[in-house]
Amino acid sequence: MTAAAVVALLLVTVLIGARGVAAMRTTSDFLVASRRTSPMLNAAAVSGEYLSAASFLGVAGLVIKEGTGALWYPVGFAAGYLLMLALVAAPMRRSGALTVPGFAEARLGSRPLRRFCAVVVVVIAVLYLVPQIVAAGQLLTLVSGVDYWVGVVVSGLAVGLTLALGGMRAATYVQAFQFALKLLLFAGPAIWLLLLAGPQLRADLAAPPEFTRFTAETPVDFRLDTDLVLTEPTTVVVDGVATALEPGPHHAGADQVWVFPAGASVPELGGGRAPVPGGAEWALPLLGTADTAPLLTTWSVLVATALGTMGLPHIIVRFHTSPDGRGARRTAAITIAMLGAFYLFPIVYGLLGTVLTPELYLSQGTDTAIVTLPGRITGGGTAAALTAMLTAGAFAAFLATSLGLLLALSGALAHDLMPSGLRRLRLTALAASAAVVPAALLMVRVDVSAAVTSAFTVAASTFCPLLVLGLWWKGLTARGAYAGMVTGLVATVGAMALDAALGLGGTAGMLLAQPALWSVPCAFVVMIAVSLGDHVPSDAEATMLRLHLADRE
Amino acid sequence: MSSRPRRVAVTAPPARGTVVPRPHAAAALDPDLTAAARRLRRVQLRRAVVTLTCAAVLLFGLPVLLRLAPELAQWRVGGLPFGWIAVAWLPYPLLAVLGWWHLRRAERAERSDRADRVDTAGHRP
Repeated sequence: MTAAAVVALLLVTVLIGARGVAAMRTTSDFLVASRRTSPMLNAAAVSGEYLSAASFLGVAGLVIKEGTGALWYPVGFAAGYLLMLALVAAPMRRSGALTVPGFAEARLGSRPLRRFCAVVVVVIAVLYLVPQIVAAGQLLTLVSGVDYWVGVVVSGLAVGLTLALGGMRAATYVQAFQFALKLLLFAGPAIWLLLLAGPQLRADLAAPPEFTRFTAETPVDFRLDTDLVLTEPTTVVVDGVATALEPGPHHAGADQVWVFPAGASVPELGGGRAPVPGGAEWALPLLGTADTAPLLTTWSVLVATALGTMGLPHIIVRFHTSPDGRGARRTAAITIAMLGAFYLFPIVYGLLGTVLTPELYLSQGTDTAIVTLPGRITGGGTAAALTAMLTAGAFAAFLATSLGLLLALSGALAHDLMPSGLRRLRLTALAASAAVVPAALLMVRVDVSAAVTSAFTVAASTFCPLLVLGLWWKGLTARGAYAGMVTGLVATVGAMALDAALGLGGTAGMLLAQPALWSVPCAFVVMIAVSLGDHVPSDAEATMLRLHLADRE
Repeated sequence: MSSRPRRVAVTAPPARGTVVPRPHAAAALDPDLTAAARRLRRVQLRRAVVTLTCAAVLLFGLPVLLRLAPELAQWRVGGLPFGWIAVAWLPYPLLAVLGWWHLRRAERAERSDRADRVDTAGHRP
């Protein structure tokens, strides 16, 4: 049933995509649907595009792994649209440029700057696109037993073909349809599962028991190389071989399956970065543990997610499908409400996952926790139906986000890095999806939520200052924009690479892993300082002011 | 709704294959319009700052509150700890209301600006 649901979803997506072909004529049609979309439809499309694997699966998984503080991620995701509404939507739409690189050139009159922006678009889109496809592959592997590469190739093909056939016109309908579908397939099973839950489970949801002992014989399928510390002698079945393990540190290799007996004490995770599910640190709704400054961690994630939203190239381009600045602003306002409705539900899955599948905290396979939940609560046809619904919804999330990202990616490549017409743009969409598939095959072990957050951090440190200053400050110059964006890009990518290499703990490690709190102000300061020392063209003020004149009726 | 003949491709390749190049950059703004645009930008910026300050106080303040008053986070409302409700549900309606409020003020500013300009110039399209 699950396979049938996914196949049906793919077919509908491609069909809706193909419908768009008849109406498509020019490059502008391909990119922004000829700008005739109503705010309501467009807001549904924005939400559909925005709600990715990270929202559908990742947040609930993070609640198991990092505690209830993970619920700050979706708060930041939604708050991003308030910033979009207040600062970006209307003037950006009036600028008339189709993409962020196009805006950079129109506002600051520099072609090299445009090319640099296109490079940043490619960095962000790849950081965001690859984990989507990775997650799609993992999901298909889990629910249908096909090989990981089959899932990756199937999802890559579906996305590339839909885009190449229909472009954004197709994508607008596809995305709006996918939002309705995702909301239904996320909220429906959540309510259904709560209704199925017995009184004991409901009591546990309000206060999940601390995960200190295995209540039943539990297989743990390690996704990554993991260091464990056993607290008592335990006989563990490692890949089918019973092994008596002494207390102390042990190493579990990736893809090993350890079966712990009922009643055994739960080993501690090496590194001690993650709070134990159900423990006091887990229950405190802040990110990070006591030694990593919870307040700063929470703030940094909020800054990255909220400011990063405005810098995501696939979201910005979506506002150009509104007919005018007012329509774009209304789109942003409706989007806040639509996303809010969706984000009421991750806590349900997060709590269910913490109570029913706490062992995923050991295996780090929390990204797919949601689809295993129905089987733990009920059985038979109901569980199969619920799993099929959740899988289809999660797959819709991958498809929707990937479509938008691929569009931004191929737009940047075909349009800004090597100008060309429609045919090349279509070919680029296919080529880009073909290039992403091998990357997804190689990066099977990447953590979906972490990679997506890094895309937000890069966006917040580069495009956010460019857009805010470019839209509201006449003094911004091309050289200033360039210097600020280079600073932001180097700071974020450098900090995250340094974190991966050093693996520091504590506050310093946190500031490297989540650099938004300092990298965004740095980018702003450099951008303003360099612009102040530069010559501002005489027509800069007029170019900027036009973006704020109300639309003609 | 799909009429076959309309599928003739009218591809109109743009001259340099690029986006609409700097739509209005050539023409300078006339002085009236410049003054109006300056005024409008200032008003909209002020409204954006007010809205975003409210949101920042709310979103950055909530973690501080939960950190400084853990007993508040553990206080149970209808069975669930208040801290969870405050993170999982509370922000969304508040953000939606804040967004709605900002949208109304931003549109009102544009309407009153247009009315002003029609009054003074009298020949706006």
